[in-house]
Amino acid sequence: MKALFRWIEDRSGCSAVLRGCLESPVPGGARWSRVWPCAILFSFCVQAVTGFFLWTFYSPSAQTAWESVYFVQHEVVGGWLLRAVHHYSAQVLLVLIGVYLIQLIVTWRYRAPRELVFWVAVLMGLFTLGLMLTGDLLAWDQNSYAATQVRVSFLTLIPGIGGGLFKLAAGGPAFGHLTLTRFLALHIGLFSAIFAVLLVLHGLLLRRTDAAEAAAGGKAAPFWPQQALRNAVANLAVLVVVLLLALQHGMSGDHAGVALGAPADPDPSSFYAAARPEWAFLGLYEFSNLFPGELKIVPIFLVPGLLVCVVFLMPFIGRSPAGHWFNVGFTAVILIGIVALSFRSLAHDRANKEHQAALAEGHQQAERVRQLARAPSGIPATGALTLLRNDPKTQGPILFKTHCASCHDYLDAEGQGIAAEESSAPNLHAYGSRQWLSGLLDPKRITSPQYFGNTKFRKGDMAAFVRDSLNDLDDEEKTDLQKAIAALSAEARLRSQQEVDAKQSSQIAEGRDMLDDFFGCTGCHRFHDKGQLGSAPDLTGYASGEWLMGIIGNPAHKRFYGDENDRMPAYAEFPDEPAKNQLTEQQLGLLVDWLRGEWYDE
Amino acid sequence: METPSPTPPQDNSAGPAAAEQRRGFLAQAISLVLGTVTLLVPAVVGIVSFLNPLRQHGQAGRFMRLTSLDVLPEDGTPRKFPVIADRTDAWNRFPNEPIGAVFLRRVKPDKVEALQVVCPHAGCSIQYEATDDGGKFFCPCHSASFDLSGKRLDETSPSPRDLDTLDVKVESDGEVLVKFQSFETGTAKKVVKA
Repeated sequence: MKALFRWIEDRSGCSAVLRGCLESPVPGGARWSRVWPCAILFSFCVQAVTGFFLWTFYSPSAQTAWESVYFVQHEVVGGWLLRAVHHYSAQVLLVLIGVYLIQLIVTWRYRAPRELVFWVAVLMGLFTLGLMLTGDLLAWDQNSYAATQVRVSFLTLIPGIGGGLFKLAAGGPAFGHLTLTRFLALHIGLFSAIFAVLLVLHGLLLRRTDAAEAAAGGKAAPFWPQQALRNAVANLAVLVVVLLLALQHGMSGDHAGVALGAPADPDPSSFYAAARPEWAFLGLYEFSNLFPGELKIVPIFLVPGLLVCVVFLMPFIGRSPAGHWFNVGFTAVILIGIVALSFRSLAHDRANKEHQAALAEGHQQAERVRQLARAPSGIPATGALTLLRNDPKTQGPILFKTHCASCHDYLDAEGQGIAAEESSAPNLHAYGSRQWLSGLLDPKRITSPQYFGNTKFRKGDMAAFVRDSLNDLDDEEKTDLQKAIAALSAEARLRSQQEVDAKQSSQIAEGRDMLDDFFGCTGCHRFHDKGQLGSAPDLTGYASGEWLMGIIGNPAHKRFYGDENDRMPAYAEFPDEPAKNQLTEQQLGLLVDWLRGEWYDE
Repeated sequence: METPSPTPPQDNSAGPAAAEQRRGFLAQAISLVLGTVTLLVPAVVGIVSFLNPLRQHGQAGRFMRLTSLDVLPEDGTPRKFPVIADRTDAWNRFPNEPIGAVFLRRVKPDKVEALQVVCPHAGCSIQYEATDDGGKFFCPCHSASFDLSGKRLDETSPSPRDLDTLDVKVESDGEVLVKFQSFETGTAKKVVKA
């Protein structure tokens, strides 16, 4: 073994280099205040190691980026921890560099001959920010997509070349595949490599200046073992902090580690409204909000650029004690400013109802897409966004709000749901269910705003029939009405009533006859082979998927209201010319499935 | 890369030494040029490809049928219409995808105004809010608000300009066509995304 070492040593001289490092003098002796550079090195190593393993899973394209991160987070054993350690050690790295820079400034260790040491440390800080900005996008979830898009769009503020810079950063006129490949290359290739070079450079420069300081006299001790011990303890502390942060949401379940939102949606009209930058940029974000829109270039580029320039000039400003105090004061003001602005932003968002609602919607979609991704059908090749776009539970409320809620409510018994802009048509919550029909056929309720109260049918034949014929029923008649309601509701084949419909098939059969001869519905309505079309909606297959698509598509069709239609628009009037319709067949299907409660549940 | 080594000072400027120095200078110059050129070639090749996005252009605005006139409320309440078109992302083409949305509003019985839903501030999607005095547009991201014609309502708005209007054509058969375009966000001037 010894011979092997000697063989290597003879040809490489590496043990001499190692000895040189270990014996390099620490001026003033081993100190706790000297642990920062090593802690920065350690955090970066954690980043490199965890980053490499994340890279082995990551697939950079608009249809696979989120999906591969989802796979790491929720399917790979320990994947959530890998992601969390990578994420939190990046935050810790930034803090460590910040603390180190503050220490250099406050202790006047940026002046000659340490200018280069200081500048390299500042550059490390800037590249850490660059690594955070590029790494943030890679998850391709709602927040990282929207926040990055806002940031990259700031480039267009630069006169003349802004538009071109945006395209270069995004890899094209809009965000997509090439944005991910570029950001990935910058993140794991360029910025990481530059950071590593800066780290090495910083180490060499630091050794040189420390050796010079030690040679100039005063107390000094070799790095090994006293300073090395302190560094090792500091690194352990860093690791413990990272692990505590990573484990703050528990060790299992959907929320362990770092949150992954719903997949990014490239449709600009679905822009994630709760997008916020990461904590390190929150102060700058709030600062930029202090300026009117026309002057955005000032807080986004000019002021930060100026601040960085001042920091780079600190070694020259700080040549005199007065200059040094200026530097210290400047740093204190900036830090206090950033912290105060960050808290202001947080307080602002907490009090902002729209922001909280948008956040809650984002959480809901993230939760939903997890459910859908876990469904037996899994994530399709077109990406997880397809799951949400084809999900009635997600799209139904959006479509309802856009197309139906100007007149219709969708509110449950507690008043929860979607309220109409101006309620002027029946409440469609649980439409077609026994409970909904019981209300419709209740003399006291049919003319309430929940049903026909705000429509012209308030004075129509149906309301008159319910008031006159279904009033003062005796117990037996009430039971018969229940049977008729069960029969009509069974036409809808609602999933929520599947069991009860199957159990009460004989009552339903009785009810079906009663709809015809006892209650006389078929006097106006058609019901299977009884009655005529043309005077009232067809009750055959009432509230079934097909029936609902028909009535929403064209309520003035003679199968439904015909000429009696109130104000309900036709959403798919032209079956042969789909381009002319308000809603596509797919949208109609999603809306109907949602109204009928037909969606995937775990 | 070769670094030029300092030439030791010489006492005599005799012939062979001077010739040696000249040759040394030539060697240094050539090695520097060669080193630079050999490094530049792959870098330039890479940078040319890297700049390719500059030659890519977004969707050119063209008139698209969004709806028909009778769908738009006569009282001037705006309605939001998604814009469906083919979308290209590098090597993929996605047919019939939502690529944005437009608010349409009837200002006269046969005149329609169209507004991009994208807020000029940071690119969020504006929402319509019914109010007592006829309604307004509102951005949920940074609370910018606009009147129904798209004018900014706040004294100091986060938005650098009013909402972006789009060209509208109403055909004789009542079809509403809109020239769908996207604009740069954050700028005070309305610049079409090229």
